[in-house]
Amino acid sequence: MAAPGVDVLHTASFLGFEPGSLPPRVGSRRKRLNKNKKKTWKRHCPALDVEEFLEDVRLQERTAGGLVAEKPDDNLFFVDTGNEEKDLKLNKGKKKPLRIDLILQPDSKILPPKDVLAHQVPNAKKLKRQKEFQERLEKRGILPRRQRLLQAKLHRPFTKSRIPTNNQPDRDFYDIWGEANPLDSSLAGKDSWFLEQTKKRAVKRPGRLNLKPSPLPAVEVIASGGSYNPTFQSHQALLLQAHEAELKRLKQEERLERQLSFPTVDKAPTEESAFQELCQGLLEESEEEEDKTEGPEENQVEMEGTAVPQTAAGEKKTERQRKREKETRVLAVKLQAEKTVKQKQQELFQLRSIKTKVKHREEELSQRKVKRAEKRKAQAARTRRLGKLKYEAPDTEVQLSQELAGSLRTLKPEGSILKDRFKSFQKRNLIEPRERAKFKRKYKLKYTEKRAFREVTV
Amino acid sequence: MGGLEKKKYERGSATNYITRNKARKKLQLSLADFRRLCILKGIYPHEPKHKKKVNKGSTAPRTFYLLKDIRFLLHEPIINKFREYKVFVRKLRKAFGKGEWNAVERIKENKPGYKLDHIVKERYPTFIDALRDLDDALSMCILFATFPRTGKCHVQTIQLCRRLTVEFMHFVIASRALRKVFLSIKGIYYQAEVLGQPVTWITPYAFAHNHPTDVDYRVMATFTEFYTTLLGFISFRLYQTLNLQYPPKLEDKTDSKQQSKEEARYAMDSETYMEKLSAMSASLTRVVAPVEEDDAEMDVFPMDGSSTEQEEERQKEHQELERHKKLFEGLKFFLNREVPREPLAFVIRSFGGEVSWDRSVCIGATYNVDDTTITHQIVDRPALDKQVINRYYVQPQWVFDSVNAKLLLPVADYFPGVTLPPHLSPFVVEKEGDYIPPEKQKLLALQRGEHTVEENESEDSEEEEEEEEDSEEEEDDSDVEQNEMLKKREGRQIPEKKLNVKVTAGVMKTENRAKAAQDEKGEEKRLAIMMMKKREKYLYNKIMFGKKRKVREVNKLAAKRKAHDEAVKSERKRRKKGRTG
Repeated sequence: MAAPGVDVLHTASFLGFEPGSLPPRVGSRRKRLNKNKKKTWKRHCPALDVEEFLEDVRLQERTAGGLVAEKPDDNLFFVDTGNEEKDLKLNKGKKKPLRIDLILQPDSKILPPKDVLAHQVPNAKKLKRQKEFQERLEKRGILPRRQRLLQAKLHRPFTKSRIPTNNQPDRDFYDIWGEANPLDSSLAGKDSWFLEQTKKRAVKRPGRLNLKPSPLPAVEVIASGGSYNPTFQSHQALLLQAHEAELKRLKQEERLERQLSFPTVDKAPTEESAFQELCQGLLEESEEEEDKTEGPEENQVEMEGTAVPQTAAGEKKTERQRKREKETRVLAVKLQAEKTVKQKQQELFQLRSIKTKVKHREEELSQRKVKRAEKRKAQAARTRRLGKLKYEAPDTEVQLSQELAGSLRTLKPEGSILKDRFKSFQKRNLIEPRERAKFKRKYKLKYTEKRAFREVTV
Repeated sequence: MGGLEKKKYERGSATNYITRNKARKKLQLSLADFRRLCILKGIYPHEPKHKKKVNKGSTAPRTFYLLKDIRFLLHEPIINKFREYKVFVRKLRKAFGKGEWNAVERIKENKPGYKLDHIVKERYPTFIDALRDLDDALSMCILFATFPRTGKCHVQTIQLCRRLTVEFMHFVIASRALRKVFLSIKGIYYQAEVLGQPVTWITPYAFAHNHPTDVDYRVMATFTEFYTTLLGFISFRLYQTLNLQYPPKLEDKTDSKQQSKEEARYAMDSETYMEKLSAMSASLTRVVAPVEEDDAEMDVFPMDGSSTEQEEERQKEHQELERHKKLFEGLKFFLNREVPREPLAFVIRSFGGEVSWDRSVCIGATYNVDDTTITHQIVDRPALDKQVINRYYVQPQWVFDSVNAKLLLPVADYFPGVTLPPHLSPFVVEKEGDYIPPEKQKLLALQRGEHTVEENESEDSEEEEEEEEDSEEEEDDSDVEQNEMLKKREGRQIPEKKLNVKVTAGVMKTENRAKAAQDEKGEEKRLAIMMMKKREKYLYNKIMFGKKRKVREVNKLAAKRKAHDEAVKSERKRRKKGRTG
């Protein structure tokens, strides 16, 4: 049922283009459409047949180079005069092209558009002139820049450019503070604005940075007791100093130990003592409270006795009361003013004592100022807290009396200068005290006995 | 009131500081690089006054830097070099891991490097600024120069440090700038005066190395990196001021053929020159021939403020200084092999002395032991089996003590085997009224030119010498030469003592006159005190009380010392008796 219908439709559309043919009626009812709008025209006008036809025309043009119908017969057909068997034999040795190559072969018969630039050179005139100019120059012996550079490179002896490093033992020095030092000579005579804008000149160092962070000397000389052959007195003084430092440390250690130690059996808390501790303050407090409650009551009684009955907060004052209050206020102000005037007059006679007071005050202030300045001075030399850790002064190097060497030959040096220098940097606030980063293994190491070792039995 | 609400920590000190980690992130550097950069540029952490404000309410201890400092760091060209180095390491590691050895070679050849010259110029705009920071630079360079070449730091750095320290020492020798030396148990402290600036540094004793573990070697190496550059430029300038050639060149006098044979035995050709230089036995060549300046007098600038007295004093000081500089001039020293060669050679040469040592000890020996013109031989062993008559045998401390005392001390106290007098610190300057140990008092008296020795002490010393004689005789009676030597020594000492007595007699007279003047002065003072106002008197009394207290303390110390001395003496006597009986 459906197939014949389709067939009918197809043939009808194909025929439709022939002049004079009428579109056949399909279906019983005609479709009603608005014909006053382009939209509906487009939607309901079947253009498939036209497109198919055009596609067919294009295909013919592509493959045959024009409409087949318009071609003469000679172009379309030829008379086969060959022998099939013979042909097969002849073409046997020829290589067959790959199929993929065949597919990729352009099968369009339409010629690509003609490339204009294939026969033209842009700027040909200019280039030609330039070339001629170069040739003329070459004749006179002037080479272009690029060639010149290449030549120069060829003639230059091959030297490895060594990048200057800071710690070469044979590095050279020059007069850096002189007029003609290499640092400044590259900038000399150039416009300062230019240098600034092109960042050729280094940024000026803030003056604050040239102040040292601590007034302490770089090399602090050891006390005279630290001589390899000291006098008795100075050696004793140094020993005493070391001894005191050691005592202090011991005391601290002891304190820590005492605080952390577990109490012995006789000092351990018993049940009774624990209970007493819990009751601490409870019993005594109740007694005291009793005493206390007695006191305030008495006070209250007294207060009640002496207090003047006052009007309640909410009650309104009478006119008379207001007036009286106002009068008292005015009177108080007046009296106060009189009093101050009188006092001022009296102060005139106290001038001497006031003067002494002022003097005392000034003296006190000046003394404070001096003290403050001293304190600040002392603070300046102090080592600052610059990080997590506090600065810890190194142990004083000291040799006991029996350790002291009699001569330079038998001297056994004490302490390390490297450490001394390091601590000095810390003391002068140049670096912050730090702990060495601890090595932390991510995974636990696994120990296994080697087989050969395991097998050994004693 | 209108206006925006003020937010906390958006103004004031909170915005002036930046934490270390933030600064590091701002500069895009690793912590190690950041620390290195800060050290090189001389930017140090800062402790804010109000930590809580800066730390946004937290009181946790942190390292802060000033924000402006970090902004300044942003402009530093070296930061780029650090980044390049980081990339270099990454590339190298990668090539190494892949086993591409050609690539490794190529990458290694193109290792990025940088120079610190511009930072030196920036941090020290003038030469004097640089000189003020010389203490640190010297101490660090000398310390690093003594390091073993075992990979704790770059070998090149060690070599550079050694070169620079040798150059500086040569400058000190050439300019006679050394002033004080102090042998401590830690190391040797030196003080030199370079262009009017006192420069103090410390050098370790040879072979005194224990590498402490709680020192950050990377930080120290960074400091040294900067200080080597600084010291190099300073040395260049210093050499210029003296018209010396830089790099230093030795004056060559001796025939070269024989010399070179021995040198070859000592060091390789490439190292010979440096070794010879560091021996410090020869002086350096000058660009311009030195002009004799001996007769040059100091310029006199008559000023309004300074009286003639002050000027005289100044002149006297100047003369004294000149004399001090020529302390060892004309003396010829020979160092025995058990004596620390380098410090002694340095000290002797920087006071004009000539010095040599055994040829097998070090390169650069200029004469032998049997040279007859040697005046002093430095010895540090209890007894010598063979002695030459026309020279003094002294212990090394004599050299250092003489330098500190600014005069050639009597050699008798420093003979080999003798218990040495204490080595006093020249860096301790006693104020008036402080306790001065008797050794120092003796020394001061010597400096003043007095040779007064108290009866008691002289007896004491005689006794001691007797003891020594006894002991030495007991040790080797048979040695004739030794006896001769001793007799010579005695002979040298006895006339001195006689002379002393005479001088004391002479001094007495002058004292009388002085006493009269003193009395007069005392009278004037008493009158002045009487005329004082009440408040001033109170203050005066207070000051005097303080002084008296000090004196009391000094007396106490002196008494203690005397007691100690006596105890020691009696002990010794008892022991002696025990030994003889």
